[in-house]
Amino acid sequence: MSVPAATASTSTASPAVSHRQRTRALNVRQVSKSFHVNDEPLHVLDDISFTVNPGEFVSILGASGCGKSTLLRLIVGLDDDYEGEIALGDDVVRGTSLDRGVVFQDHRLLPWLTVEENVGLGLKNAKLTKDERAKRVREHLALVGLNGFEKVFPYQLSGGMAQRVAIARGLVNRPELLLLDEPLGALDAITRIHLQEELLRIWRTEHLTTILVTHDVEEAIYLSDRIVILNTRPGRIKRIVTVPLSRPRDRLSHAFADIKREVLEEMAIANPGAPARVAYAEDI
Amino acid sequence: MSSVQTTTLAPPISAQAVSSRRQRTGPGAVSRWFGRAIPWILPAAILAAWQVAVSYKWIPPILLPAPSRVLNSALDMFAEGLLLTDFFTSLKIVLHGFAWGAVLGLGLGAYAGLSRTVERVLGPTLDSIRQVPPLALIPFVILWAGVGDLAKLIVISKAVFFPIFLNTLQGIRSIQREHIEVGRVLRLSRWQLVRHIYLPGALPSILVGIRYGAGLSWALVVAAELISGHAGLGYLIQRSQDLLFTDQMFVAIIIIASFGLLLDRSLKALERHLLRWKPGFIN
Repeated sequence: MSVPAATASTSTASPAVSHRQRTRALNVRQVSKSFHVNDEPLHVLDDISFTVNPGEFVSILGASGCGKSTLLRLIVGLDDDYEGEIALGDDVVRGTSLDRGVVFQDHRLLPWLTVEENVGLGLKNAKLTKDERAKRVREHLALVGLNGFEKVFPYQLSGGMAQRVAIARGLVNRPELLLLDEPLGALDAITRIHLQEELLRIWRTEHLTTILVTHDVEEAIYLSDRIVILNTRPGRIKRIVTVPLSRPRDRLSHAFADIKREVLEEMAIANPGAPARVAYAEDI
Repeated sequence: MSSVQTTTLAPPISAQAVSSRRQRTGPGAVSRWFGRAIPWILPAAILAAWQVAVSYKWIPPILLPAPSRVLNSALDMFAEGLLLTDFFTSLKIVLHGFAWGAVLGLGLGAYAGLSRTVERVLGPTLDSIRQVPPLALIPFVILWAGVGDLAKLIVISKAVFFPIFLNTLQGIRSIQREHIEVGRVLRLSRWQLVRHIYLPGALPSILVGIRYGAGLSWALVVAAELISGHAGLGYLIQRSQDLLFTDQMFVAIIIIASFGLLLDRSLKALERHLLRWKPGFIN
């Protein structure tokens, strides 16, 4: 197997891969969900309602255990056992759909498939010819800056590269909605910042409606138009914060820090036991 | 944020790079040569000891013929054509029996792996049949199927079936739930799930069963021919014993050993190829 020593330039302007005709709003209406642990009901989500507008980037932010990943699983359609309703436009979400692309925290590439086969797996049921399929895979690998790595197996990739492949796989069907479940959570700080830029670029060029689940406050503020802050046990919407900053955003600006303080304080109140007020260097 | 513009993606280490580096790290040509010779030292020593023992007449030739004598017999037997006939008789039955056992084991193993109900239906019955050693079945099978090839076929198939059945079942059960969810997210059909996720995921386990089953079937064909048969390597050993042709017996034993080794090594090579996606498997 030959591995090309590719130097992929990630921020070069890749052409937009898809041209969507329609984008619809996602409506989450009064969604509640409980699990049964030893016959005891455990409320994970309680009366969650919000709307994600077409083309919007929304983050769901909360401490671990607040049910944010569970909420995303419901939107993905992996779990239909809940109260309330989730609808994309007029279509109620039941089961998974290729309209909704997903990227998980652990990249979940199939280890026995090469990079291109992993991305191509999403196209198994697409009504495309073999050539169109190969082209689509190539375009999406280029979109995430990984051309030259088609024949490589996942174990040969770094964590960041594997996650790029996972993003390409999530996008290859040209979904209306991109659902990201802490996709950068397991990556080191530098790689994470790189991939945040990547996500923004892809979101912009592809005109995607995106929902990101994260526990990283800075990540949420840097990327999102709006942030849905969840309470813990049961997961309830604490507040929905609009981020009024124009992009590109400066993580070190005062405006950014102000929003960060606001969000952190919301979260601190949302989590009993956490310090009531977040301390900052300027306080000292 | 323009300070972070490009990122350099280091090329991943390929399997080839790893193995070639291993070869180059030897301290020198001599030790590399020695490294290659290591597996041959013990067989050569045994052969030498054998020759010495016979030359000094420590052991009578009727019990232990000289290596040269065995080689001559092998050449004679080969020239007569009987040796190949016996070998291919055994091989044919093994391939046949193995194919039946493997196909059934794989099919039913996958079926039971995918459905708890099927596993519960088959489980107790198969588990009890599994407890009966293959050789203990031979007399019974002969009673039903006669002394011909069919009896051996049944015994070998049965022996091959279980390791493959159990390993396939186990392999499919050990598939990560996360990988199956990926299949659901990508809207794969039931068959596509089996084809692209369940079977490849279970393959490492399945191959363990296949290798084990293959070794078992080769050993069993000889055993079955020892008990009944008119041709084959087992029969050759039986006949050599009756006629006190110890040299011929040795020829048969050596062929059984060599082919068994070849079979195992080939399957290992196949496994290395099929599982090349597994980290660390290359070594």
